[in-house]
Amino acid sequence: MTNFGNGSSLTVADKYYSQYGLRARELKGSGKKIIGYLSVLGPIEILTAAGVVPFRLKGNVSEAITKGDAYMETIICPFVRNVFDAAIKGKFDFLEGMVLPHQCDSIDRTDDVWANNLQLPYWHYLNVPHVTDDPSIEFMKDILRLLIRSLEKLTGKKITDDDIAQAVKAHNENRQLMRDLYVLRKSNPPMISGTEMMKVLVAAMSLPVDESSALIKSVTEEVKARPMPANGKVPRIMLIGDQIDDVAIIDAIEGAGAHLVMDDLSIGSKMYWTDVDATPDPIQGIAERYLRKLKIPTTFVGDGNTYQENLEARFGHMKQFIKEFKVDGAILFIYKYCDPYGFDVPAMKSFIESGGTPVLYLEDEYSTSTLARVKTRIEAFLEMIA
Amino acid sequence: MAFVLGIDVGSGYSKAVVCEDRSIRSFAVMPSGGDYKEIARTVATKALLEIGLSFNDVVYTVAAGYGAGMVDFADHSLTDISCHATGIHHLFPSVKTVIDVGAQFSRAIRLDNDGRIANFILNEKCAGGSGKFLQTIARILHMNVNEIGDLSLTATNPVEFTTACAVFAESEAVSRIAEGAAPADILAGLNKAMASKIITLVTRVSYAPDCALTGGGAKNRGLVKAIQEELSTTVLVADEPQITAAFGAALVAFERIQAR
Repeated sequence: MTNFGNGSSLTVADKYYSQYGLRARELKGSGKKIIGYLSVLGPIEILTAAGVVPFRLKGNVSEAITKGDAYMETIICPFVRNVFDAAIKGKFDFLEGMVLPHQCDSIDRTDDVWANNLQLPYWHYLNVPHVTDDPSIEFMKDILRLLIRSLEKLTGKKITDDDIAQAVKAHNENRQLMRDLYVLRKSNPPMISGTEMMKVLVAAMSLPVDESSALIKSVTEEVKARPMPANGKVPRIMLIGDQIDDVAIIDAIEGAGAHLVMDDLSIGSKMYWTDVDATPDPIQGIAERYLRKLKIPTTFVGDGNTYQENLEARFGHMKQFIKEFKVDGAILFIYKYCDPYGFDVPAMKSFIESGGTPVLYLEDEYSTSTLARVKTRIEAFLEMIA
Repeated sequence: MAFVLGIDVGSGYSKAVVCEDRSIRSFAVMPSGGDYKEIARTVATKALLEIGLSFNDVVYTVAAGYGAGMVDFADHSLTDISCHATGIHHLFPSVKTVIDVGAQFSRAIRLDNDGRIANFILNEKCAGGSGKFLQTIARILHMNVNEIGDLSLTATNPVEFTTACAVFAESEAVSRIAEGAAPADILAGLNKAMASKIITLVTRVSYAPDCALTGGGAKNRGLVKAIQEELSTTVLVADEPQITAAFGAALVAFERIQAR
């Protein structure tokens, strides 16, 4: 367990957020192997079970892409390009290797670009299926076994079922702790701001699971101990999108006079809302969680008989969030060239609006260069729903 | 009776409107330039001086627009989208769809029966359909942007533009000049291309009549005509369309002192 000393745990989160990768670099120095992953598909339980440190990659929205575009086409999503640019510039030189999933075209069609240019000692392509029927679960289990074997080769150590069960337990606990912290956003006003929450989410994804859990737990305690802020009539916003991993957009929302109280982001609630069941074969639970419980646009979740039932299966949880967190308006923030989300926009937007919650749809770069125009839209949206 | 001030610092022009209660007493319009803080003060001073007032006479100031955050003497700030809505609803209560053609952005705003914003959309980063597009073309034709409208109305054979992209339209205009097309025909074609780009925004907010056009773009009579043709209806244009958001801001300022 990490000792946070006398310093505030939110300050620690801020440190790991602003100096992203700081702890991973230290751990690498002490002989740990750091494996990068790029999306909510992880799978972090397997990496933890292997004794390596899963480290989620992020880019920097304030930094221009200066080297990456020499290797990657500009029709690739700006998030992937920005992270790749950071990687090629050596920002992640502590990585032993990476696991890239079969997810969207921007990720899986660039697998070879990453692999060939980064030349890391370890590379694994995780061929996650897009459908969720029973044969797909069998397939998913097989590809998880392939990952296990390749990690065993990297570490020279066998990964037992018990190792996996232990890792599942640790990550379930981690997710529960994060959900406990989310509960503090339900009050009006929320006890933790959206900006603070973002920093905790980003810090958490850069740490080994035990350190992440300790940090989240201590942030929760710290936030609970704060004096309750005065009640105000401020709109409560939910942010929906893929990997939004910077406070810039949240500052824009909260700076315009709203509270960000909930998210459906791939580094946020998507990551923490569903657990892995402890199944006799631990791989079964992991396969089911990533394939069936996780609601992402690249996985065809939903076996409803009607279009409406399918929408409910895919986006129903968002209506639940809106109810539980008393959300007044949703902001759907999609990166340019993100086809999976892009195609989901009309259905998602009308589904949420059908419940009486207004939605602002924004399409933008993974960059602060366009923030001023995004701010105008957010301000107008807030004025509209006020 | 109270004097209120509405300021709209746009990316192209800054506008100030002085109202006595809800009536416009004076206004000023100046290019924004590179110092929003300075221009806000200058344009407000100009409008105030016109009727012999100073800042001390102003009870309440509301700032709007791209540079609203830089207006340090404002009591309140709002987006220009809200201010356009307020201004137009006051001028033309029957309007349900507002089209604003500004220098950097075009916006379509849909109002409900009470003049509240029901939906809005801005053009994306692309400058097609914004005033920038007209400025670019005015530059290559060596003319003033204010002359575009009238000249385009004299067109006999409008050029068909295949793009509404401001950058590609520039090269397309140059090729048409090289082919001998008359400036009036080029401008009429551009207004048409711009109108179709704007109509896509209008369609996205679920167009409903009546429709009003605001912003500097509304001073281009050729563009007004092109939009009317696309919508097959008359489009309402205020006498001074460019100051609509500043006027709306002044109205909000008055409402706020009433509510105190």
